[in-house]
Amino acid sequence: MRKRLGKSVGIVVAVMFFLVGFTNIAPAAEKPIVIGAPLSTAFLYGWDAERGIKLAVEEINAAGGVKVGGKKRPFSVEVIDTRDLEPSVPVSDALLGLEKLILDKNADFIIGGPVRSEAALAAMDLLNKYKKVSILSTGVLTPAYHKKVAENYAKYKYCFRITSHVIVMANEFVTLLADIKKGHGFNKVYIMVQDVAHARGGGEAMKKMLAASGWDVVDMKIFPTGTTDFSMALNDVAKTQADIIFLWMDMPESAILLKQWSGMKLKALPMGFVNAAEQPGFWKATEGKGEFLIVNLVNGGNAPAKITPWTMKFANAYEKRWGLEPEGYGTSSSYMAVYTLKEAIEKAGAIDADAVITALENVNLMGVYGRISFDKATHQVIASDDPKLGAVTGIIQWQKGKRVQVFPPNVAEAKILLPPWMKK
Amino acid sequence: MDILVYGTINSVTLSLLSLGFTLVYSISRLPNFAHGALYITTGYFIYLFLNGLGLSYPLSIIFGIALTSLIGAMMYRLILIRIRGMEISEIIATYAIGLAMIEGLRWGGLRGTTFTLPSFASGSRDILGVSVDDQRLLVVVVGFAVFALLYFFVRLTRNGLALRGIAQDERAAMMLGIDSDRMAVVSFAMGSSLAGLSAALILPLGNIVVEAGYNVLVFSIAVSVIGGLGSWSGAIIASFIIGFAQILTEKFLSSHFQMVIALLAIIITLLIKPSGILGRQKELEERV
Repeated sequence: MRKRLGKSVGIVVAVMFFLVGFTNIAPAAEKPIVIGAPLSTAFLYGWDAERGIKLAVEEINAAGGVKVGGKKRPFSVEVIDTRDLEPSVPVSDALLGLEKLILDKNADFIIGGPVRSEAALAAMDLLNKYKKVSILSTGVLTPAYHKKVAENYAKYKYCFRITSHVIVMANEFVTLLADIKKGHGFNKVYIMVQDVAHARGGGEAMKKMLAASGWDVVDMKIFPTGTTDFSMALNDVAKTQADIIFLWMDMPESAILLKQWSGMKLKALPMGFVNAAEQPGFWKATEGKGEFLIVNLVNGGNAPAKITPWTMKFANAYEKRWGLEPEGYGTSSSYMAVYTLKEAIEKAGAIDADAVITALENVNLMGVYGRISFDKATHQVIASDDPKLGAVTGIIQWQKGKRVQVFPPNVAEAKILLPPWMKK
Repeated sequence: MDILVYGTINSVTLSLLSLGFTLVYSISRLPNFAHGALYITTGYFIYLFLNGLGLSYPLSIIFGIALTSLIGAMMYRLILIRIRGMEISEIIATYAIGLAMIEGLRWGGLRGTTFTLPSFASGSRDILGVSVDDQRLLVVVVGFAVFALLYFFVRLTRNGLALRGIAQDERAAMMLGIDSDRMAVVSFAMGSSLAGLSAALILPLGNIVVEAGYNVLVFSIAVSVIGGLGSWSGAIIASFIIGFAQILTEKFLSSHFQMVIALLAIIITLLIKPSGILGRQKELEERV
């Protein structure tokens, strides 16, 4: 009896294996092209970039993959947490992460970070050492990155940046402020920045540029990271009757500044680069007190907008996949970096670094935030205020709980509004 | 006038942040380096009770503080009791607990800028011609109320007197039948509650971010060292010195020297009076 039972079970198992074997018959999968993503995943610029990259990879794979030499190969993503945005984490840790992606995870290409400028600049030598093409898509706003490529092309030709940098951003702010000055007769600016290198640099650049374009720069205050009370400075804004508060901060505590500004009903319009105000959750976090703040999201498409036909398609896909709107800087650019790489690989017909570099230098792709093409000497994405010509910024204003694109005029969806207590 | 108003607000806020740290040290002679972690953990508990479990705001605050108080008591009962008296081990253990809590929160999802608590009072008003947020005024009012309550607690209640007794002379107190370990548990529970209370009051001003845990610890240490380790009144005086020094720095120098001022004050105190303003521990040791 026991023997017969054993025999029956054996037959059933054999039949099941046979069936399973047949149902799984499919052509052998092609070897994936591995994208290594070194990102500081505990921070917005890390996790939103990861989501952007993964979304693009899923879409490309679902459509069949990347055509390389007559074969369709899928993308796969390996993310490593570089922690480079965390305080007191040394640059060497981020470099170790990058090296691990290349050596252990066999990354063919690098997309994303490292996110902090210091780490990204140091990583350029590693990319050269291992001859890995990288498309930087988040963080790193320093112009030194693309200048380094121009100064030593042979060494740093592997490094591309698909996002903007402080010089472009400062010029955008100056243009926007000129429009506001013309429209409302404003003349005085009060600058408040965080005590970190990029913010101090951005603040200093703005101070010079605004003074040169006829603005009265009343003062520039620098706040240590973690400041939780801005009352003194805001009181100073009121006393000096500044019309604009220009901010450059990436600390979460900048939300406190906006709450205090709203509570005090200051007659000065806040604007700038404010990390805390990028995410869709900012409205709830400030209980609506961040309304009227103007924020530079660095690239278009980091909030829903109608820049190109692809912008809303991307925004909707992102919301469907991750349950919320594109979150802020790093989202659209990381998504586009994957599509740009796909385009270049297909043009090159190979994943060989030199062939892909040449293809990237000649890429011309209408993307989420305008035309994507790189300057051949600096490998910096070409910026423009017209999406038909180049990559467009995403400057938004918080209006009734929404992030509304207000600049550049070519793609603006609404006019800049003043808080009721500022209306004359 | 703005120096007086903002200086007072800043000083009371610092006192509230550091009072729990000072209280624990004064009674148990244990430096609780997990103080900042307990502060931020309370904020996260309140957030979870409010948004995850849907409890009312007052209930969320009560449960949040109670849970943190329990964690503080357990810290002593389960871990610190075994290493009490071994100073370096105490520092390492409390710092490690704090680090594990803070990084655990980060790992568990406390990331970004969208974790916030609602303000008790929105809007602002003019005080002596200076604009002040209502929430900050509430911090000042509750701060003074806490100072008064603590003052009467340690003078008028049985437990309070026992705590004072332990703080003044542990051996003599033990001879009078006061259980030193029990009092240490009480001090840890009370210190943690104070960290929790300050979180419930101060965090609605901004957002719940793990980095705040480290900042709170730095300021608590600065206040305790300057005031004199274990001296409650010294801690309050030190809070006012640092609080006003920061505001004066912002007014006449530059706001980015605020943290430098706190650290500079520690160095100066250690050079001039290592026992702190009202600290007598070192002086007594030297005399002996």
